[in-house]
Amino acid sequence: MSAIAAGIGDRLASLWTWLHAALFEAVVQPLVFHLGMVTWLEASFDATEIFLVGALEVLVLWAALGALERWRPVEVWADRGAVRADVVYTLLVRLGVLPLAIFFLLLPVVDGLDGWLRMHGFIPRGLEDLFPVLFAHPLASFLAYLVVIDFAMYWLHRAQHSFGFWWALHALHHSQRKMTFWTDDRNHVLDMVLTDAVLAVLALAVGVAPGQFVAIVAVTRAAESLAHANVRLSFGRVGEWLLVSPRFHRLHHAIGLGHEGARQGCNFAVLFPVWDHLFGTVSATREFPATGIRDQLHGRDYGEGLWRQQWLGLKRMAGRA
Amino acid sequence: MAALAWAFAAHAVFAPGEKVIVLNSGDGSISIVDPVSKVEERRVPVGKEPHHLMATPDDRELIVANAASNDLVFLDPVTGEILRRIPDISDPYQIGYSPDRKWFVAASNRLDRVDIYHAGSFKLAKRLAMPKVPSHIAFSADSRIAFVTLQESNEIAAIGLERHEVLWKLATGKQPAGIWMTPDDRHLLVGITGESHLEIYDWRARKLVKRILTGLGAHNFVARGDGRHVFLSNRMANTISMVDQETLEVKETFPVFGGPDCMEVTKDGKQLWTTARWIRMVTVVDLETKKVLHQIPVGKSPHGLYFRSHAPRR
Repeated sequence: MSAIAAGIGDRLASLWTWLHAALFEAVVQPLVFHLGMVTWLEASFDATEIFLVGALEVLVLWAALGALERWRPVEVWADRGAVRADVVYTLLVRLGVLPLAIFFLLLPVVDGLDGWLRMHGFIPRGLEDLFPVLFAHPLASFLAYLVVIDFAMYWLHRAQHSFGFWWALHALHHSQRKMTFWTDDRNHVLDMVLTDAVLAVLALAVGVAPGQFVAIVAVTRAAESLAHANVRLSFGRVGEWLLVSPRFHRLHHAIGLGHEGARQGCNFAVLFPVWDHLFGTVSATREFPATGIRDQLHGRDYGEGLWRQQWLGLKRMAGRA
Repeated sequence: MAALAWAFAAHAVFAPGEKVIVLNSGDGSISIVDPVSKVEERRVPVGKEPHHLMATPDDRELIVANAASNDLVFLDPVTGEILRRIPDISDPYQIGYSPDRKWFVAASNRLDRVDIYHAGSFKLAKRLAMPKVPSHIAFSADSRIAFVTLQESNEIAAIGLERHEVLWKLATGKQPAGIWMTPDDRHLLVGITGESHLEIYDWRARKLVKRILTGLGAHNFVARGDGRHVFLSNRMANTISMVDQETLEVKETFPVFGGPDCMEVTKDGKQLWTTARWIRMVTVVDLETKKVLHQIPVGKSPHGLYFRSHAPRR
């Protein structure tokens, strides 16, 4: 039985390799060559795989999380028009369009900083240098980096809610009153640039390899999609401590709870709820409240379409909306 | 019967227990391949982004340069067993020893640096900021100059190893990568990856002697071992060209699918092994018939490869 499973696994891996190579050699490589960007050949090969992974991921999310949302929805809406913009955000992010643009924006800054540090004798040390046992155990190494990055994301998320200018941008993410699994990628572009810049510098400081970083992002965003799903689902007494569930994260989006109070909200964790337990930001409410921002109840407009949402985010940041 | 004949031939070329070592740059591992059965025996984590490898001058160890781990890992060149690790080698992409074994040079592809280390101690002697994307390295026979291709500024830089300074730079075609010194120490061959040709420079006169059409994405070199011919991989054309270093002409070009990159030739000159970056394979080519004999699945984005029973490096 295990031999059959291994055989199927090998065939799928082989199919993936050929699909990746065919798309790259037939479409991406000629394009990169004609743009005179041959130095980026390896990076574009990786980007091709990110695109394929993203396309597959969107299909799986649509099938699996869509089914979950139909099975036990928290809310049922006759009009799902407000969800459309979130679908567009998801496609732009998961198929790699926005991440690629941000990558080219941040790369010179991060590499410039890295290069400058090395000219001054500082070479970043990875977790493997601190714990040499990780050299021989890539899975343990991956999990260690996942925990470090998730811890950083918890604090980044706290910052998104704490600083006025950042909340003005991040509020776009929270303004969805019809929250679904598509909502995860509904973000202001400037908000994405800021968080990605901090994470890139952190990744550099702790020695996350680019390949590892991509894998961490893939795992994180799949879990985040589930966390945003419009589904009445909790992971149980133990599971709620281990992984952010749709119930746990819904409280973070709840009107009057998720982004108000002394700590500007609750349940900030991205993957591991333990951070909220440790730092006193967990909400124990067992309900599935409505999502959105309180001022929407008083008529504040956050926009329906993507362009207007982005524009209003900038205006809020400038104090003009 | 044919398979038996091949197995016998492979036994004759490779020493007992000898392995082919492949760097999987995409998943940070080395594949240990049995050259007789042509099967990947095991895959071992080695570090982050291992791209290039080379034997130490005494041939007793094999050095793997892990660009993103900032270290060098030393392997047994026969079995591929990991022996030791030297940290704090900044972003080593391509590496090379000067012929006098005094200097160890590392091109930092991502961070635009060329680092010169004392070869015995691996203590940094000089870190030189360079224009964009230093790539491959070659040396003059007298060890006075290291030549480095600069992929994004389209140049060759000549670095003086006596005073550790850039002596001069020379403009090339688009995205020069592989660089190769002819056995007579006269010409530098440069693979112009952003175009379809090889450029040949008289480096003493600092002038372009000739351009030879080879194939799209002309990239990296390995000697045939007869003192006269050198192979050049054309990554985007999916071909390999054989260049005559005396007449400075292409003798033949043959197809190798999947983005051929780094290569090794067996010491009997009969087989060429190459990594195929895009299809996660190592390809073995019969140099008499130019037919692909084997495709061996390995890890992600295989780049450097090595076996001890290789042809002479000239």
